[in-house]
This record gives sequence, C-alpha cells and structure tokens, in this order.
Amino acid sequence: MAEKILEVKDLVVEFRTDRGTITAVNGVNFEVFKGQTLGIVGESGSGKSVTALSIMRLIPNPPGRVAGGEILYRGQNVLDIPLDEMRSIRGNKIAMIFQEPMTSLNPVFTVGNQIEEVLELHQKELSKQQRTEKAIEMLKLVGIPSPEKRVHEYPHQLSGGMRQRVMIAMSLACEPDILIADEPTTALDVTIQAQILELMKKLQTEMGMGIIMITHDLGVVAETCDDVAVMYCGQIVEQSDVKTLFGHPRHPYTKGLIESIPSFDSTTGGAKGRLPTIEGMVPSLFDLPSGCNFQNRCAHVTEKCRGPHGEPKLEPVSKGQMVRCFHPLS
Amino acid sequence: MSLTSYVLRRLFYVIPVILGVCFLIFIIFSVVSPDPTISMLGKHATKAQVLELREALGLNKPLYIQYFDIVKSAFTFDFGRSWSTKQEIFEMIKQGAIPSMTITFPAFFLSVLLSVSISLFVAFYRGTFLDKGVVFVCVALMSISSLVYILVGQWFFAFKLGLFEISGYEEGFPDVVPYVLLPIIIIIILSVGPDVRFYRTVMLDEIYQDYVRTARSKGLSERKIMFKHVLKNAMVSIITYVVLRIPFLILGSLLIESFFGIPGLGGMTLKAVNSSDFPVIKAMAVLSGIATILFNVITDVLYVVVDPRVKLN
Repeated sequence: MAEKILEVKDLVVEFRTDRGTITAVNGVNFEVFKGQTLGIVGESGSGKSVTALSIMRLIPNPPGRVAGGEILYRGQNVLDIPLDEMRSIRGNKIAMIFQEPMTSLNPVFTVGNQIEEVLELHQKELSKQQRTEKAIEMLKLVGIPSPEKRVHEYPHQLSGGMRQRVMIAMSLACEPDILIADEPTTALDVTIQAQILELMKKLQTEMGMGIIMITHDLGVVAETCDDVAVMYCGQIVEQSDVKTLFGHPRHPYTKGLIESIPSFDSTTGGAKGRLPTIEGMVPSLFDLPSGCNFQNRCAHVTEKCRGPHGEPKLEPVSKGQMVRCFHPLS
Repeated sequence: MSLTSYVLRRLFYVIPVILGVCFLIFIIFSVVSPDPTISMLGKHATKAQVLELREALGLNKPLYIQYFDIVKSAFTFDFGRSWSTKQEIFEMIKQGAIPSMTITFPAFFLSVLLSVSISLFVAFYRGTFLDKGVVFVCVALMSISSLVYILVGQWFFAFKLGLFEISGYEEGFPDVVPYVLLPIIIIIILSVGPDVRFYRTVMLDEIYQDYVRTARSKGLSERKIMFKHVLKNAMVSIITYVVLRIPFLILGSLLIESFFGIPGLGGMTLKAVNSSDFPVIKAMAVLSGIATILFNVITDVLYVVVDPRVKLN
C-alpha cells in the first residue's frame, strides 16, 4: 500500500448568504496516497471545488467557513495550524492549479518571474541566478519549447495550453507532495486536454506526488485516476477504485453519469439513438429534500428514499466500494 | 518598435491636435465673442474711440492673421502683453505659476499617496466595519461643499486658533509655509473622498481576479499580494487618473487662490476674466490645452511601461 499523505475527515463547509446558510460540503471523507490520483467528480455546485479550496484553506471567509471535520496532511490537521505555517505549505507541499489558465496567471509579470516567486518563497537557499535556472528547467519539464526565451515572456504571449503548462510548472517547482488540479483541462481544446493530462501523468511518475483531480468529465477520470469519489449536493455518493466504478457502479447517479458519456454507439444512432441523460435538476442547496438528495431524479426511488428513515449513509457494499443509497444497484 | 520612436510618433500626432485646439480658441475669442472694447470703454464711448482701441489692440487684423497669432503663441509661448497690466503675459504666467504650484503640487502628491495607501488598506479589510466606515467618511467628505472647508478653516483654524495665516502670500521658504498650509490641507481633504472611493473600486476589481487566488495558493502573504500583484495591475487605472490631473495643478485652483489671496495663475485667470483681458485668457486656454495634450501622451507612454499587454503599434 502506498503512503497516505492526505486524509480528509468529515469535512463540512458552510457559506453564509442573504438567503440563509448553505452547506456546500457535508461530511466528506477521502484519502490521498503518494503517487496516486484521486478523482472527485460531480456537477457544478456539487462541492468539489469547495472541497479542494478548503484543503488549501482558500475558502473566502466570509462568507465561507469550514464548520467541521479535519484535514490531515501527514497526520497534522491543517485547519488548526497558524496561517503562517499554512502559507509555508501552500505552493510548497500542497500546490494547486486552476480551471482558467487564461486568467490564473498575473498578466503584468513574466512567467519566469511568477515561477521564481514560488521558489523565492519556499526555497530561500537558492540564489537569483539559480531560481531563474530552475524556472527554465521547470518550463522545459512541462514541455514548453525554447524555455530560455519563454521565461521572459508574459502570459498573454502564450496560448491557453501553454499557460496551463506554466501553471503546472509553477505548482510543481517546489516538488509538492500533493497537486490539486481543479478542472485543469476544462477550458482547453480537446487535443490540448489530452496533452496536459498526459503531462500530469508523466510528471506524477517522475516526481511521485499524489494528485486530486477535480473534474466533471468522466473521460478524464477514466484516463487519469486510481480512485474516484462521486459528489452530489455536497456529499460523496459513491467512492471506489476507478475500475470498479466504471465496471460496476452501484449508485443510480453514478450509473446515470457513466451512461451519459457519448460513445460511438450512441452518437451514430446505433441501438440507443439518443444520448441518455439524467432527468431533472440538481436540487438547490437552500432547499434540499429530506431523505435522499437524489430522489427526484432517481428511477429506483421508493417511499424509503423520501425521508422517513433520514438520509442514506455512505456504506460499504463490497471491498473498497462505498455507496450512499438505500437501494444500491446490483 | 522602440519606445523612443513611439514617443516621437506620438509627439508628431500632437501637432494637428494643437492646431485644432487653437482653432477652437480662435472661434471663441475672435469670431463669436462680443466686442471687448465696448465693455472696456463703457457705453458712452464714441465711435472714434472704439475704432482707435480696436486698432491698438489688434482686433482689426484679418481673421487668418488672428488665428495664426494664436498658433504661433502655442509654439513660441509669446502671448503678447496683457491689456490691463501691460505686462508680458509669459512673465505673468512665470510669476503666477510658482505660488500656484507651491500649493497644488504638495497637495497633489500627498493626496495621491494618502488615497492609494488608504484604499490598499481598506481593500485589504474589505467588507469589514473599517472598510464601511472609511467609505462612509469619504462620502461625507465629498458631500460637504468646498466653501465650508474654506470658510471654517479660515475662521476657526486660522482666525480663532491662529494656526495658519488667514490669507495672503509671502515669497521664499519657510515664510511661505503658514500661508499655504491651510489651502494644501483643504485641497487634500477635497480630493481624498472621491479618490479613495475610486482607488478602492480599482483595487477591489483586482482582488477578486483569478491571479490573486493563484498568488494565495503559492503561499504568498496578503501584504505581498496587495503590494506586488494587485497594485501593479491597478497601476493602469491609477496612472490615468493621476496623470491627467497634473495639467490642472499647473493652472492652479481658481476658488482656493481667490479665497486665500494667493497670487497664482488661478487668481490671475479670474482677474483677467473679470476685466475682459482677452490675451491673458487666451494664453491660459492655449496653455491648458497643450498641457492636457502632453500629459495624455505621457499617460500613453506610461501604459507601455506598466502593462506588457499594451502593444507599441
């Protein structure tokens, strides 16, 4: 078994709004291992980005706040440590890349300057010269051609894919234990997406960091992840290794998600014709139903799901597979 | 394209703009304005007297020569003599500029420094009572008429408490200080309200950008983020706002100068307007036009320096 580097326990994140307090993340548990990738999948608003940001302690407060739970990085609860200490972890031990490569870099500093900034912060022993060399080395590592030239360029002179490579270079400059990737390929062309995912995988094998891959794209999960957690309305509804999840999904929501991946059969009008979708809408976090959150969209809904027995719990159904459902699929 | 050739090209484009400004001034003073000799001589003047004065003041010259004189003055700064004091106007401007700038420049630099610092500070504490308090004070300061500051300052702080001179001017440092201190403070108070509100908005626009989140995720401290990342991005807006106000500093403040008896350009202009001293008003119009144009060019050049996304062509 690989070394466990991060453990999230019963994480609860709340946001206070004018219309009342919502629980964006409600009792989430997962673990991240060295050299492995955990995928967190879900629709917009399912709480996956909030989960990621709370690991970095970057939830804007107010209105947000971590209301409960623990985030253990190598056994230490990062929610308890002083902000100074947290800053020495950010970018150094736990790094993050974001969905929007176009705007995530500061437009008025060169990419070299922005990579060197992380090194200046966390590797104080390096001289200015060494920092520049390291920045060039990092750009080379992420496959940017003629890095000696690019290091002096500004973000607007690079394409979206190149910028995301710069973000990756920046996040990996201090060789972190964990890389949190919040929809890293969503804003990119499909061909560039594949390149970036491949690059991340390659760097993971070389550097051995654990990755948390946040995405709404099950294709990305299938390609990159070892374990998967499926989130819905701030909760994990199904959690298992990637093979089991795709081979034998037990939660109706997971099954629906997998079925709605376009494939050649469905798009060319084969047996099924139309692409299946999950009917209905995600309930508002202000107005969650009692019982199972998925009841309104579920084909297998029964009276039990509608509340009399409370919420379903996330329970193991087989070895390494947990499902939050009263009637897990067989 | 290099910065030098960019600047040269921009300066070249300035010429037609100056010609246009001169044309507007010409229209206003030589074509549509009423005959100044009538107000100068009074209503009992004879026709002969009017003609004589028009001849003496050069109002009989053909229109194209009058336009050409304005254009010439824009490039040579030779504005002729004042009708009322008979002094060389350029000398008058040189004399008036010093008292004007003794007040406006310190006031300007201090207020920019103060406003930018306060706005960085409140942007850091955005959404808290401190932030709301500062905004409230700013709106309150803006809502009070400038005359109130002048009169209260002169009556209470200068007359009652004797902290400053009530009005007047003395040449040379440090004699000048008690005379200019109160006007400087009043100009700062007048500008801090709107400035802080403007800069605060600019800072807040930047603070919610994605690159700030990236900077945080790198482990930078909030202070470093504010002073390095946010401030440099906010610079573009700040520069525009700041540099385009410099021409007005040179021209002085009409109101403050006349209330405090400062012999500056503002007071001079006001006096010229009251006595229909056309050459002086024209000179000030030409000068402010040129200053505005030049500082626009300077703003554009500074954009290139501050923001790498601004292309030189």
